[in-house]
Amino acid sequence: MRIAVENVTKRFGALAAVSDVSLSVGEGEMFTLLGPSGCGKTTLLRLLAGFYNADEGEIRFGDRVVNDVPPHERGIGMVFQNYALWPHMTVSENISYGLKLRKVSSSDAAVRVKEVLARVGLTGLGGRYPGQLSGGQQQRVALARALVLNPQMLLLDEPLSNLDAKIRVQVRSEIRKLQKELGITAVYVTHDQEEALAMSDRIAVFNLGRVCQVGPPKALYERPANRFVADFIGINNLVEGTVRSAEGAVLQAETAFGVLSAIHDATLRAGDRCVICVRPENIALNGQSGGERNHFRGRISFAAYLGNTLRYDVDLGAGVTFKTDVGDPWDHEQIPMGTTVELSCAVGSTLAIPAG
Amino acid sequence: MPVAQTAAIAVRRPRTPASAAIGFGLIWLFLIVFVLYPLTRIFYDAFSNDVGQLTLANFYEFFTDRYYLRSLWNSLVLGVATVVATSVIGIAVAFLIVRFEFPGRNLFSYLSMLPMILPPLVGVLGFVFILGRAGTVNVLLMDWFDMLHPVNFMYGTHGVLLVETLHLFPFMTLSILDSLSKVDPSLEEAAQVVGANGWRRFRDVTLPLTTPGYVSGALLVFIWTFADFVTPLVVGVQDLLAVQAYLNIVQFVDRRIFRMGIVISALLVVLAIVFVLVARHYVAIKDYSSLAYSKVERRQLGPIARWLAVGFLALLMLVSLLPQAGVVLAAVGKGWSLTPLPEHYTLDHFRQVSVETPRFIINSLLYSGLAVLICLVVGVPMAWIMARTRTPGRGTMDALTTLILAIPGTAIGIAYIRAFHYPLPGIDVALTSMWIVLPLVLAVRRLPYTVRSSYSSLLLVHKSMEEAAENVGAGKLATFRDITAPLMWKGILVGAIFSFIMSIQEASATLFLTLGGWEMIPFGIFSYYIAGSHSQAAALGVILIALCAASLYTVNRIAGTRVGGLFG
Repeated sequence: MRIAVENVTKRFGALAAVSDVSLSVGEGEMFTLLGPSGCGKTTLLRLLAGFYNADEGEIRFGDRVVNDVPPHERGIGMVFQNYALWPHMTVSENISYGLKLRKVSSSDAAVRVKEVLARVGLTGLGGRYPGQLSGGQQQRVALARALVLNPQMLLLDEPLSNLDAKIRVQVRSEIRKLQKELGITAVYVTHDQEEALAMSDRIAVFNLGRVCQVGPPKALYERPANRFVADFIGINNLVEGTVRSAEGAVLQAETAFGVLSAIHDATLRAGDRCVICVRPENIALNGQSGGERNHFRGRISFAAYLGNTLRYDVDLGAGVTFKTDVGDPWDHEQIPMGTTVELSCAVGSTLAIPAG
Repeated sequence: MPVAQTAAIAVRRPRTPASAAIGFGLIWLFLIVFVLYPLTRIFYDAFSNDVGQLTLANFYEFFTDRYYLRSLWNSLVLGVATVVATSVIGIAVAFLIVRFEFPGRNLFSYLSMLPMILPPLVGVLGFVFILGRAGTVNVLLMDWFDMLHPVNFMYGTHGVLLVETLHLFPFMTLSILDSLSKVDPSLEEAAQVVGANGWRRFRDVTLPLTTPGYVSGALLVFIWTFADFVTPLVVGVQDLLAVQAYLNIVQFVDRRIFRMGIVISALLVVLAIVFVLVARHYVAIKDYSSLAYSKVERRQLGPIARWLAVGFLALLMLVSLLPQAGVVLAAVGKGWSLTPLPEHYTLDHFRQVSVETPRFIINSLLYSGLAVLICLVVGVPMAWIMARTRTPGRGTMDALTTLILAIPGTAIGIAYIRAFHYPLPGIDVALTSMWIVLPLVLAVRRLPYTVRSSYSSLLLVHKSMEEAAENVGAGKLATFRDITAPLMWKGILVGAIFSFIMSIQEASATLFLTLGGWEMIPFGIFSYYIAGSHSQAAALGVILIALCAASLYTVNRIAGTRVGGLFG
C-alpha cells in the first residue's frame, strides 16, 4: 500500500508539531521517520494511524483519502513503544482479540494465532500473560498482534526503545526480515540514527516539525543536504567557511585553518557561507597519500579507545577540534597527548553544504 | 506495599548496635502481644470448650443452627449487594471525573470524597431522621398524598444496603480513580486499531485494566459491610453475622451464647483473610504495571451528556450529604416530630453533651491522640525497618500490616476482651479494666496507615540522598535531622492526622471494650440513640463531624493535596 502525505500540518495550541510535511512511501517500503524527541515524527505516525486529525493537508493510502477514516478502518497494524499489551489477557487473547471483533470463528482464529506466533518465534507461549514474558518476547507479541489482521501497512512507534542493547539489535533484524518476507509497507519511528540506518529502505529526517531530508541511508550519511542532517546522522567534523571559487563538482572554501577543497551539489556560489563536513573515518593521520587531499595540522587533545577503533580529538586551533578514527587499532601505538600530527582527507570525501 | 520494591532501595545491611536490636525487639514484642496473641486467643477459644479441651463442637453448633446460617448467608448477600451497588456508582463517578470534562468537575471530585470522611454512625442517624418512619420525607409524603402509612425506606436489609452504599462508594471511586489514571493511553489505542470502539473497548480493555484498584476497593467495601454491626442495629436488623457477634458478646449472661460470639468473630477473621488472599491471588497472576508515557486526554462531554453528568453527580451528592443535614437539624431542633423540619430551635442539646457531660469529647481527643502517638512510635520505625534494612522478618511485618487492615474491628474488640481480661502480673488489674486499652486498640487498628504513609515518604528519600549527606561529613543523626526528616515529616504527619480522624470515628472495636467513664463520642451517639435520646445523639454527631472537618482541613493545609492519596 502506497502512502502519500501532502502538505500536512498538525497544531497543538499555537505549536505546530508537524508543519507542512509532504512525503510518499512506496509499496513494500520500510520507511523511517527519524529525529530528536519533539521533532514531530511521532505526531506524523499518529496522524497516519488516525489518532490525530490533520489540521491541513491530505493523507492518502493508495488512492483513498483517509483523513476522516477511524483507525480500525485504515487497514493498519500498530506496534507501540511500550508494547501496549493488555495485561489481563493471555498472549493468544491479545493476538486474537481483533479477530474476535471481526467475528472470525474461534477455530480459524486459533489457526491464525498459531501461524503468527510461529512467525515471530513464540510458538507455545500463547497461554502466558504478558507479565510473564521478557521485553523482547513482549515486543514480538505486539508485532504478532499487529500482523494477525493482515494489515496493509505496519506502523511502528519506537518499538525497540525499551529493550536492552543486544536484544534490540536482534529484534530489529527480525522485524526487518519479517517486513521483507511479507512485503508489507512499514513506517518506523525512531530517534536512534544507527537503528534507522540499519533497518530502512528510506529515511525522512525530522527537525522542529519539518522534514529536513529524505533518502536512502547511504545518501543521508554520505551526502547530507544540510547542517542538521550532517550533524544528526553519524559523527561528523564540521567547520564553517566561505566559498572562494566553485567550478564544476569541486569548490574551494576559506576556513579558520586554511583553504579546503570539497565536493558539493552545485548549489554553492563564490561568496556563499558554507559548512565543510568530514567523517572521522575519512581523515588519515600522518603522511597518508593518494589522490587529491586536504592537509591540516593539529595537536592530539584526547583519545578514546573503542575496541574496533581508536578515536583522537585533534585540536586544529581557532577553536576547532576534529575527530579522527584509526580503524582496527590492534597494531597501533597510541599517540601521546599534545603530540603535533599531520591530518589529511581525500577531497572526494570532503563535503561542502550550505550554511544555516 | 510490595516488599520487592524495598529490595532495590535498601542497599546494605547496617551494623546492628545493641540499641537497634532492642528497638527491633520491642516492636516485635508489641506486634506479638497486641496483634498476634489476641488473634490466636479467639481461635483458641473458638476451638475449645469451657474446660479448655480442644473441640470442633462450637463450629458444629454454629453450622447446625439455622438462625446463624441464615445470618451468615444474609451477611454474604448484603456484602455482595453492597459491592455491586458501590461498583456501579463508584465506577461511574470515577470515569466521569478522570475521562471527561464538564462544568464543576473539580468541585465534584472533592465532594464525592466527603461521605468517606464523614463518620458512618452519624450518617446512619441522619438517614433515619430524613428517611425514617417519622422522617422528613415520610412526613411530606403523607401530607401531600394523604398516605396512611409511612414508606419503609430504612428499616430492614435494604436500609443497611442504602446506608453502606452511600457511605462506601467513595472508597470504590478512589480505588478506581487511582488505577484509571495510571492506564497507558496506548493500551486503548491498540484496542482502537484492531476495531474495539465505544462500549466494547470500555468493557474489554479499559474496565479490566482497573482491576487492581477495583479489587482492593471491592474488598474494602465487602469487609466493611460484612463486619459492620452498628448500621444494622440502628435500622433494626439483627440476622447478620456481625450483629450476632455483638449481641452475643455484650449480653454477658449466657456463657454458651458468649462463646458463640467468639466463634462468629473467629469466622469473621477467617473469612476476611480468605477474601484478601483470593483477591491478592487474582490480581497477582497478571502484571498490571506498565510504562505510561502520557495520560489519556479528557474528552469534552456533549451538551446533553454534560447536563446528565452534572445532574447525576449533584443528585448523588445531595443524597449522600442529606443525612448530615438531617443530623444538624435534629441536633438543633426542639421537640422535632411529625413535621418536615423542626418548629423550634435550641442549642440545649449541645450544652448537655459538652458542658454537662464533657467526658465524650475529652475521652475522644485524649484516646485518639494517644493512639496516634503509639502509631507513630511503633509505625515509623516499622516503616524504616521495611524500607531501609534487610532485617529478616520484614516480609512478615508487611503481611501483618495487611492483616490488620483486613480484620474487622468487631473481631479485634472481641479478641481483646478475651485476651486481656486476666489480671496483669504485679499490679493485679486486667488490661481490659484500664482505660489505656482503648488507645491501644485504636492504635493497633490504625497502625497500617502510619506504616504505609511513612513507608512511602521514606521511599521518596532515596538512600543515595542520605549517603550523599554522610559523604560530605554529616553523622547519622545529622543526616536524619537535616535530610531525612525534612523530606518525610509531611507524609508522616498527614498519615497521623488521618489515623486520628479514623480513630475518633471508630465505632466497632471500642464499643466492646468501653467501661463506665471511658465513653468516646461514637459510644455516646450509639447509647443515646439506643436509649431514645435522638437529639443528644445528633448533637454529638455534629461535634464529631466538626472535629473530623477540622482535622481534614489541617491535612489539606499541610499536604496541599487530596487526602485520597493515602488509600492508594
